[in-house]
Amino acid sequence: MSDVAVRVDHVTKTFRLYHERNQTIKSAVMRGRTSVHEEFLALDDVTFDVPTGSTFGLIGSNGSGKSTLLKCLANIYFPNKGTITHFGRIAAMLEVGSGFHSELSGRENIFLNGSILGMSKKEITRKYDEIVDFSGVEDFIEQPVKNYSSGMYVRLGFAIAINVNPDILIVDEVLAVGDADFQAKCMRKFEDFKAEGRTVILVTHDLNTVKAMCDQAAWINKGELMAVGDATATVTKYLDSLS
Amino acid sequence: MRYLREVLGARELLANLVSREVKGKYKRTVLGQLWSLANPLALMLIYTFVFGLIFRSNPEPGDPSGLDVFALWLLCGLLPWIFFSTVLTMGAGSLVANAGLIQKVYFTRIVLPLSVVGSTAYSWLFEMAVLVIALSIVGGFVLPWIPLALLLMVMLTVFAAGVALMLSVANVYFRDTQYFLTIGLQIWMYLTPIIYPASLVTRASNDVGGLAGTAITIDGIYRLNPLYHYVAVFRQVLYDNRWPDPVEMLICLAWALGAIVVGMIVFRRNEKNLAEAL
Repeated sequence: MSDVAVRVDHVTKTFRLYHERNQTIKSAVMRGRTSVHEEFLALDDVTFDVPTGSTFGLIGSNGSGKSTLLKCLANIYFPNKGTITHFGRIAAMLEVGSGFHSELSGRENIFLNGSILGMSKKEITRKYDEIVDFSGVEDFIEQPVKNYSSGMYVRLGFAIAINVNPDILIVDEVLAVGDADFQAKCMRKFEDFKAEGRTVILVTHDLNTVKAMCDQAAWINKGELMAVGDATATVTKYLDSLS
Repeated sequence: MRYLREVLGARELLANLVSREVKGKYKRTVLGQLWSLANPLALMLIYTFVFGLIFRSNPEPGDPSGLDVFALWLLCGLLPWIFFSTVLTMGAGSLVANAGLIQKVYFTRIVLPLSVVGSTAYSWLFEMAVLVIALSIVGGFVLPWIPLALLLMVMLTVFAAGVALMLSVANVYFRDTQYFLTIGLQIWMYLTPIIYPASLVTRASNDVGGLAGTAITIDGIYRLNPLYHYVAVFRQVLYDNRWPDPVEMLICLAWALGAIVVGMIVFRRNEKNLAEAL
């Protein structure tokens, strides 16, 4: 195994800012064009490495490009320039419980969602008890998820995603779910991850979490990488820029 | 080839999505899967009343089966058609309907339209089984032809899947594709010999002769419709109980292969851009 988990190499991502977007054939024909747009630079030549076995934080103000970068890391967006190389199996948790079918039971949804996240049926069967146990919804597992409380829904989604057991886990602001007890459980799980030499990349606005959990962090502002390195130092630089 | 392997690797996910659709569709309904028969039966009653009784479209009796029941003759063409048009309509909307999933999780996107194809095919299989039973009851000797009928079903499924892949991508960029499709499918249905026999078209075409002095006839244009050939082979196997015309079979096969290859290429080219375009 190499000592780099993810290599982000000169990544540039632009979006189109639409002034006019004709998403119907009718309007496209009537106006004689499909869109009027300008390019918007969301990520500008970003380069850094995420070391294997580290917990890596991404920080920055709203609209700085964090989420865009995260989506690029998760293979949802593809950069216009540059490359992102993963060394190992990757799982992204950008929103928990997406892909649940409300009419199906919790049990059926575990299998469905697990396979969307890339687990095989055998793997899910093996981990099934662990997932149910972690989510704490044992008593309701045969009920359709539409009857779940929002907390149960999110906990089940989180329990599935975290049990994919990826080499690299990407997490977006989802730590704020569940009660204190559940959050503590999640933290312990992240510690286990780290002990097993897995990499966690997380985006959060909670700088205390970054300082407490992350070894390394990257600070992004308006699409540019401002600083990368030791988490505490990066957070300090970020805070200095704000005041 | 590498893409095919990737799609094949996602077959477990595909199976799960299909069962999600199948299980979720009629959950908490009293009749369950029987509901999938309701729509074809209602259409059968209407068309049999209007075209069988009032207009007397009178298709020829099955040869050599000797069957002469308009409702069953109709269903042999109508069930494949309903399957085809459902796959196109639902497949076209499949990416837009799952926009949330596409923007949040990475997986092989092609499973979304394909899962629609799978779940619709499941209902269709059920409907066709009922049709085979009905045909046997009125004296058709259908049972030995079932393997061939299944092959035809696979061919139509592949064809429908190919077209649905293209439409699903088109619908992401132009959201009114779905509405145009609804209109298009209505026209298409009446341009296909489902509720009337194709022989009526041939007769009308012979009366008119070559169009504008050329050798092109109405019938010639009429036969460009791929569904014309599919409906023909389905009737030959199920209603007539005989070997389908090999030329028709080859035409069906060519359409199926052409559609799936183009569909996959179109899908693959646009797959990476979907999360942004949605």
